[in-house]
Amino acid sequence: MSLVFSKSFDLFKAAKWILRKDIRSCLSSLPEKVEKTNADEDKMTRIGRRPRSQNPMLEYRHIYPEFLPDPNPNWRNSLREKLERADMLERRKQIDIPEFYVGSILAVTISDPHAQGKTNRFVGICIERKGCGLRAEFTLRNVVDHQGVEVRYELYDPTIQTIQVLRLEKRLDDKLYYLRDALPEYSTFPVDMDPEILPEGTTVPVNPVQVKLKPRPWLERWERQELKGVSNIEEHLKEKDRVRRELRKTPWEKYDLMKQYRKTVPIEDQNEIWGEVYNQLQQMRMSTKKTARKRVITAPKSQLG
Amino acid sequence: MNQADVTKLVSKLRIKVPPKHRRLSCPEGPEGRLNKLRKTVTGLIKYERIELNYYRGDEARQYAERLISEAINHGDCHKPTMEMADFWLLEKELVHKLFKVLVPRFENSNSAYTRMLKAPKPAYGRYIDKAVLELRGNPYPSLQNKQTNNRQLLQNILLDAAKYDYRQAKYAEMAEKIEKSEESSSVKTTNIEHNN
Amino acid sequence: MLKTFLCNFSNNISRSFHTSQCLNEVRLLSRLRVVDNSDIGKRAMAEGKPPKIICVYNKQRVGLIGDRVLVAIKGQKKKGILVGLKQTQKTKVPKFDSNNVVLIDDNGTPLGTRIHVPIPTILRTILKERTHAKGADYTKLLGIATRFV
Repeated sequence: MSLVFSKSFDLFKAAKWILRKDIRSCLSSLPEKVEKTNADEDKMTRIGRRPRSQNPMLEYRHIYPEFLPDPNPNWRNSLREKLERADMLERRKQIDIPEFYVGSILAVTISDPHAQGKTNRFVGICIERKGCGLRAEFTLRNVVDHQGVEVRYELYDPTIQTIQVLRLEKRLDDKLYYLRDALPEYSTFPVDMDPEILPEGTTVPVNPVQVKLKPRPWLERWERQELKGVSNIEEHLKEKDRVRRELRKTPWEKYDLMKQYRKTVPIEDQNEIWGEVYNQLQQMRMSTKKTARKRVITAPKSQLG
Repeated sequence: MNQADVTKLVSKLRIKVPPKHRRLSCPEGPEGRLNKLRKTVTGLIKYERIELNYYRGDEARQYAERLISEAINHGDCHKPTMEMADFWLLEKELVHKLFKVLVPRFENSNSAYTRMLKAPKPAYGRYIDKAVLELRGNPYPSLQNKQTNNRQLLQNILLDAAKYDYRQAKYAEMAEKIEKSEESSSVKTTNIEHNN
Repeated sequence: MLKTFLCNFSNNISRSFHTSQCLNEVRLLSRLRVVDNSDIGKRAMAEGKPPKIICVYNKQRVGLIGDRVLVAIKGQKKKGILVGLKQTQKTKVPKFDSNNVVLIDDNGTPLGTRIHVPIPTILRTILKERTHAKGADYTKLLGIATRFV
């Protein structure tokens, strides 16, 4: 088997070589002017490489962060990543997984064999998004009957029936773990909340609300994390904590260029990934927009009727 | 499995980046490590070719590459990049060099901006890998000797001399042979004459 | 030699405190929150003396959702069932802000008549599995629950 394969491979190589030779001979027979224009074009493309951050494909990294692979090169596997991306697109064809961010309020309905109606709906604020590929997860938090509850869902879980965005917005921080130590009214959301529809073409608003923390003890040392979304952190600190915070500060970390590099996926790799999935994602977005518009048009009709 | 940080866009480095940083044994911790590397990067930008320990050179090389690629991507009107250059270059006239000399030099290059070569180790003393770190396009003579047929190489000169000697020896032998044969032929002719 | 010794010594000093995250496990002597309206439970919570675990009835001795525990409450020994944990749970299983317990008697009948916090739906399956025909019937607890998440 392998012999045959290697033979065919050799044949293929030979064919390639012959082709290349032919092309080369063709090129050499062409007049010199053509080569000059080619060189000019090369120069143009090289200079034109500079404003590459304006690529519209790259903006999808905020909406679909789970399509980017793990930045740790030890855990990279290009084949697995490719298969996972195909599976993710396949899943997105089945159900509509909307655009949402940390701080958005979601309602998730799953089919639950333990529940009485076999479905279970949970409403809450998204406090974190983590993981990449098919293992992408998000956590919802809510206060039900004065009891804080958090549920972690996998984004591509086949038992998820619908994910509905009730309020699309961002918060001031990337992770909202501090809601666990905040007063309960900041993470209380009614179960029968109506979805708020943003007008088309607007950017996602940032909610500038600053939460108030409960007095200590806290789950984490929030004072050391430079949180923007907490207002009363200084009230609960002692002199000792302020001194420790100063000692623990790492002002050099923002200059550590390689640390940033090791946390991200470079533009060239991202372009490859987005080039693979951009068209399909774009189509899905367009179709969901169309259906949303239809819903908007039909809703008042039903009211009139 | 972690999610990639998407707030900043970086361009890919053209050198091999190890998955983890080297700690460069430093009593002041990560801050001291960066201070060490700052000095090396400044030296590299200033002198364009430096000789140093291999590990430190490899770490500094990554930071220098990142600094140059940031400067190329954002230009000198971008405030965070300017701050970054200000942090990494201890001598402030080098900031001008970075944006006015190095950025035009490397803007259209398709290879890495630096080159690292292994330097010879001392025969005695501490056994530490040494390296030479240089910016590409520097004004110094090349360290690599790629022309194997260079006539000025010592090996080639010696080989030439050896060949010359060998050839001279051969010529001498041949001359001797010819002389002998001539002598013998003359002897023969004289003999024939005598017989006659 | 001295240098390596000093190095090890200083390393030992710097690692004498915990740097790992808190696991929030429910095990011996951890405090719980009684979430039903049984008389003894209400009084204990009002006095600020929440029950303390003196035994978790499983092999690992670390309580999971639906496990039976023996608690010391107001000087008495009572049995209870864990109905909500702080610990990180599997996906789709809710994680609560407190460790909740519902007090039961030996037959599995709850002491109270109502549970005033949501309880996880997975408890339904777990308690049905734990209930045997001739042993204790834990599913009575599900009847007094007000809300599932």
